[in-house]
Amino acid sequence: MTSDAMCTALADDIDAIAVGELTPDAAAAAHLSTCAACRAELEEARRLDKLLRERPVPTPAPGFTSRTIQRIQKAGWRREQIVDWIFNSALIAAALLVAAGLWIALEHTGLSSLSRDALDIFAGGATTLAQKVTPSLPLYAGATGLLVVALGLWWWASDAAL
Amino acid sequence: MEPARERELVDRCRREEPGAFEELIEQFKNLVFALIARTVPDRSRAEDLAQDVFLRVHRGLPYFRGEARLSTWLYRIVVNVCSQERSEQRSRAASRHMSLDDPDSRVAAPSTVDRRFSDFELRDRLEKAIEQLPAQYRLLIAGHYLQGLQYEDLAEAMKMPLGTVKTQLHRAKRQLRELLEGDLK
Repeated sequence: MTSDAMCTALADDIDAIAVGELTPDAAAAAHLSTCAACRAELEEARRLDKLLRERPVPTPAPGFTSRTIQRIQKAGWRREQIVDWIFNSALIAAALLVAAGLWIALEHTGLSSLSRDALDIFAGGATTLAQKVTPSLPLYAGATGLLVVALGLWWWASDAAL
Repeated sequence: MEPARERELVDRCRREEPGAFEELIEQFKNLVFALIARTVPDRSRAEDLAQDVFLRVHRGLPYFRGEARLSTWLYRIVVNVCSQERSEQRSRAASRHMSLDDPDSRVAAPSTVDRRFSDFELRDRLEKAIEQLPAQYRLLIAGHYLQGLQYEDLAEAMKMPLGTVKTQLHRAKRQLRELLEGDLK
């Protein structure tokens, strides 16, 4: 092999030789000892390797872990919110569908007039109940107040005992 | 990190054990950030992308089958995040009608008068030369010269045969030497 051909052949292997991954065979070693250009290239490859090894390693800013965890939590909440929103929308849609279905069924079967009568009876009963309860409202309010105070005292006493 | 410890950590994360995912981040944050920061020059963008990596890991953990090592899976996510960033950058640059031949980003020709560069200048030129490399080469250089990343890890993460990784790495270095013509003498 001519010297030029050897230079070309070595050019592909210079970096591997420089880092010790490839050992030059006898011919290549002999060429390297005589060819100043190839030797210079080998030196350059070694210097580049050294420079690359010495490159400063960038490190994340302090608090990286907590910031990442916060982002993960936020993303999780957002996902939960979307799921909640979809669930609630589906629930409302289902309720509306059921109501619409019931209304159509009542209209078609003629039960709507019966249900109107039932509604009137219910409304009448509610009015009578309200009329009976109204005079006793202060009494009920007083009893509720006493119950709340008693529960409050019990909660305070049990909390203080701990 | 030992494979057995990795598996145990993954299991703890899957069980949502308190502090397990924080431990995973602590374990890999330096490597993930360094890899990204060496390919994305903007530091705050690099942090965002590093967080993206862990966000993807968190989402993907229930589906992680454990056939590959956790670290390999992580590097693969880093490679994907970096490639995505690259294509986004490219489309941003295209929308701004930026020329890829921006003279400011080109490595300046070495001055014939002053060929003796200080270490600082040489490192600065090296960083600029690395920026000039194709993205794939940049990622290979970044990964190979980080402690803890073997050729095998890179090959698995980049879905490339081991021989291709080595060849591309040598080509990358050769290209770097050409870009730094004369500065290394």
